[in-house]
Amino acid sequence: MDKILKDKKAIFIFIAPALLMFVLVLVIPICQMLYYSLCDYAALTPPKFVGLANYKKLFFKDSTFRFALKNSVFFMLFSAVSQQIVGLGLAVFLTNIPKGRNFFKNIYYLPCVLSSAALGLLWAFLFNPKIGINALLAKFGIQGPLWLMDTKGFIILPMWVIAFVALWQYAGQNMMLYMAQITGISRDIYEASYIDGASKAKSFRYITLPLIKPMMITSLSLNCIGSLKFFDLIYNMTQGGPNHRTEVLATELYAEGFNYFKYGYASAISVVLLVMCLIVTLLIKRVIKVENYEG
Amino acid sequence: MKAAAKKKPVSPVVVIIYIVLALLVVIYVAPLLWMLCVSLKDNAGVMADPFGLPKVLHPENYAQAWSMGKLGAALVNSALVCGVSLVVSLFFGSMAAFAIARMKWKLSEAAHTFFLIGMMVPVHCILIPLFVRFAHLGLTNSRFGLMIPYITFSLPMTIFLMTGFFKSMPGELFESAAIDGCGIYGFFFKIAFPLARTGFFVSGLMTFVGNWNELLLAMVFISDPMKKTLPVTLTYFVGPYATNYVQMFAAIIIAIAPTVVVYCMFSNQIVEGLTAGAVKG
Repeated sequence: MDKILKDKKAIFIFIAPALLMFVLVLVIPICQMLYYSLCDYAALTPPKFVGLANYKKLFFKDSTFRFALKNSVFFMLFSAVSQQIVGLGLAVFLTNIPKGRNFFKNIYYLPCVLSSAALGLLWAFLFNPKIGINALLAKFGIQGPLWLMDTKGFIILPMWVIAFVALWQYAGQNMMLYMAQITGISRDIYEASYIDGASKAKSFRYITLPLIKPMMITSLSLNCIGSLKFFDLIYNMTQGGPNHRTEVLATELYAEGFNYFKYGYASAISVVLLVMCLIVTLLIKRVIKVENYEG
Repeated sequence: MKAAAKKKPVSPVVVIIYIVLALLVVIYVAPLLWMLCVSLKDNAGVMADPFGLPKVLHPENYAQAWSMGKLGAALVNSALVCGVSLVVSLFFGSMAAFAIARMKWKLSEAAHTFFLIGMMVPVHCILIPLFVRFAHLGLTNSRFGLMIPYITFSLPMTIFLMTGFFKSMPGELFESAAIDGCGIYGFFFKIAFPLARTGFFVSGLMTFVGNWNELLLAMVFISDPMKKTLPVTLTYFVGPYATNYVQMFAAIIIAIAPTVVVYCMFSNQIVEGLTAGAVKG
């Protein structure tokens, strides 16, 4: 038996296709991207090594990049916090109601499987200056704001709108993960705590919360990385406008790379994006593991 | 617990929870229903009364959107690209997952971690190098070229879920098969493969939906209008000059209809499988 499972040739055959694809499509291109980011590379001419020039320009001269970085960080923080709270809240509600759990669950999860590109068009229309939500507000005599074009404030209104649409679309994902974890907790623990006189709130704080921590790592990482690479909704709602104010890293990368064909510069942006993803993931693992509940 | 809940009188807290949940249902469903409603109006009707029901139905919007957005071709392209990617990624992914979950070798943990790190890498990072490479190989503007990154990016999720399913299989199955003279390939094709049907279903659905909705790669890699996938064709309707709203909404409905239908048919299995995979991970 062990001999069969230790068959080196079979292991190689099983792993090889997936490994090969990974190396060809992920590992090698990532190395290439690191190199391109140090080059002046404009599509038609071959890459020319220029050292850190792209990064210098990115961090010190490019105001669009500053908007993009600010928006991406805001978007990540807002998404992480709001989607965690709403997702966990829904999961707790749904596991505590006697009837209709599946019905609500299926409805809240629905937008997660729909195309962001399509939903982006829908919401862009709803937040149109004249038709859509503003027409509804006008009926009550309220002059609605320019949802997707306002540029006042540190975090401008369109970013808030996009962040709320993302919350609407993706909260179901967290809800699902948390529900899986909560329904896995043994009922006996709760019964015991009620006998000891614990309230629902207390049992949530001292039983549910510690036991779902492992899931928090997964869902929080998914949230953060997902929101860092966010592209579809923004592309179809504002296309980075007005005047690059709703640009995020992913949309700026696309514009630099495929509208202006600055491959080297766009690679530098993708390095920043990759580094942010790695930092965030490591940070989440570190922070939550330290508090991990043993027992 | 369920029996206990039925005996208790309904507490006010539960009523409040139901009210909140019902309000959320409205927020979730209303925009989708409203979209359906608009797609059946004419443009003047939308401007005059965006929220009313259509007075006269205009199903011809769908026909116009279908021909203007070349949705027929897009639907075929999407189905082809996603279908092939699905089959290949399930096959490669389950092979790797089987070796990781069941076979005994020193680097199996390392291989697992390596594949899972793939989940963290944003697709944007490989966009430019891959595009340059594919342009040299003549793989841009080809549906086959698009399948390659789709398969690769489906692998981490597939391996993650399938490893869980293979690990949960009882070892006795394989032992008794070994006594009957079954080899390692027999283990995989005759025992693990048929038994992991739920796993295939769940990971297949997850990766299929992901690829079906994917926009960025498809936008960059394909420029021939006859080869574009559904999400990309929708972008024809965006932009400051796009004013034909009813057609846009008809196109959106056509684009999301397949996903909605599949979701309604399988929602419970999706949810259960997701749960099974997630808890194990």
